[in-house]
Amino acid sequence: MARARRLDRSSDNPYPHGEQVEFQYEGRPMLGQAGEPLAVALLAGGVRIFGRSIKYHRPRSPFCLHGHCSGCLLRVDGLPNVRSCRTALRAGMQVERQLGWPGSGRDLFRTLDWVYGERLDHHSLLTSSGTLARMAMGFVRKMAGFGHPPTAEPGPPAPKRRMSVPAVVIGAGLAGLHAAVELGQAGHRVVVLEAEELAGGRLCDASCKLAGATGWAARRELLSRLSALPGVELRLGTPALAVYGDQAVLQVLAAGPDETLALEPQRLVVATGAYAPLPQFEDNDLPGVLGPRALDRLVCGHGVLPGEPVLIAGDAQETLELAAALVERGIALAGLVTDRPEPELPAQLRTAKVPRVAGHRILRARGGRWVQRVELAPAGRETPDLVLDCGLVAAEAPAAPAFELAHHAGCRVVFRSALGHLVQTDAEGHTSHGQVLAAGHCAGAGSAEEARLQGQRAGLACALGLKDEPGLRQRLAALKA
Amino acid sequence: MGKTIVCQCEDVTQGDLEDAFEQGFRDLESLKRYTGLATGLCQGKCCIAHAARFLAALKGGDEAAADPPRTRPLLQPTPISCFAGPEELSASPASREGQK
Repeated sequence: MARARRLDRSSDNPYPHGEQVEFQYEGRPMLGQAGEPLAVALLAGGVRIFGRSIKYHRPRSPFCLHGHCSGCLLRVDGLPNVRSCRTALRAGMQVERQLGWPGSGRDLFRTLDWVYGERLDHHSLLTSSGTLARMAMGFVRKMAGFGHPPTAEPGPPAPKRRMSVPAVVIGAGLAGLHAAVELGQAGHRVVVLEAEELAGGRLCDASCKLAGATGWAARRELLSRLSALPGVELRLGTPALAVYGDQAVLQVLAAGPDETLALEPQRLVVATGAYAPLPQFEDNDLPGVLGPRALDRLVCGHGVLPGEPVLIAGDAQETLELAAALVERGIALAGLVTDRPEPELPAQLRTAKVPRVAGHRILRARGGRWVQRVELAPAGRETPDLVLDCGLVAAEAPAAPAFELAHHAGCRVVFRSALGHLVQTDAEGHTSHGQVLAAGHCAGAGSAEEARLQGQRAGLACALGLKDEPGLRQRLAALKA
Repeated sequence: MGKTIVCQCEDVTQGDLEDAFEQGFRDLESLKRYTGLATGLCQGKCCIAHAARFLAALKGGDEAAADPPRTRPLLQPTPISCFAGPEELSASPASREGQK
């Protein structure tokens, strides 16, 4: 298995890039770049196992790198369960792993995972006698759970602020930014809440292509248009935490880096995007198996390659573009596995010597502490007919739209097998709640183009809801045609 | 045999879902309560969609998973210091009007 390495960065890369700093990992010094996510610095430093899972003590490592999963939890400066993918590296940080005996690296409790092959049914574990059950309970309490109580002093209370604004947009991704641009152009004041430190959402992905341009170029252009609009306030690092839609005034709760906000908008646009679920195959949680967007962010964005060659599995256009982006950067691919027998490939892949395995899916991942190979099977079969060695895997899974905040507000959420749970909207982005609109992947957009269009429509419809103007109505009608 | 993990936070496997379905927990809310799926740190961001597809496939139709389990604030792990302290954030709009 190849060692982790850092790649050269291109000048248009939007990800932060700081000076080298030293921090402490499990009591020993390690180097990373200030400002990059702690999880990225650790992967670059060769860390494979970040922690252990709650029940079976399976090795865990970052999977989503967008702050949504629990793969990268660590104890940082005396605080347990810190999402290391959402924590910027600072000099002198004290970082420890937090589960396992004697430690997370080698954990004897893992034997339980092997003993109970397919599953351990804790509902009926040692329940035949009261004494046994109590002993089992005591044991389970010792081995399960996440971390230990914090030893760090609690931080000072954050200042709180209540603000009345005409419009709030949640999510500065493709749909959210376009909605904000429309609102700003119509002359409305709008606060855009973004959980990440970097605005752009999918536009930060190297695999994102929008009307022929790269996502990074489209992002720069969009952000410069946004910054020219005086009414638009973009708040980064400020996740929206709740929406209260059943009271007299619509309220959005958000926690910024230095203050907690209760926003009271007249109109709200929810553009929260989608999450990356685990792809479904055996040992899908093995370290080294990542979601495609996580791998994009790690390798193309932060320029850290923890293993090589890379195996890519998936049929979505973005997944194929990710394979092309890796080839462009000179990274060895172990294979491109597609469900479809003959996928339409980006130009770089047609000429490159990439082993292509069409009409197959991943049956299981193999490896002890990090993925070493995957077994592939043709559609409908349960026995592998091909095994590929690899040092990193990006595997696609069906979508999981981030419907929660709209659901808080009371908007109707529907389920479609192909798209997941999504916020139900009309063609203009109106939800079942009169003051709430939704756009982008949380409302079922399937592509970047679609997300952009939905964002524009919702932005215009939102502006019209605040103030009726014939010019805006015409523009909205044109966008719907 | 290895495990196919459905919910990474709570170590719920595909086998757990199948067993729960066999035992009669055949809607999302019951599946969640019996298996512990979606009750971990991520609160279902990465697993509710799987469970919904599992139900839709076995019961034959998207209606089987139409209602997602109730989602509650807060959406993300948040330090208590964001809400603690003497300043008031949660005063209802009506009572605030009264103070003016």
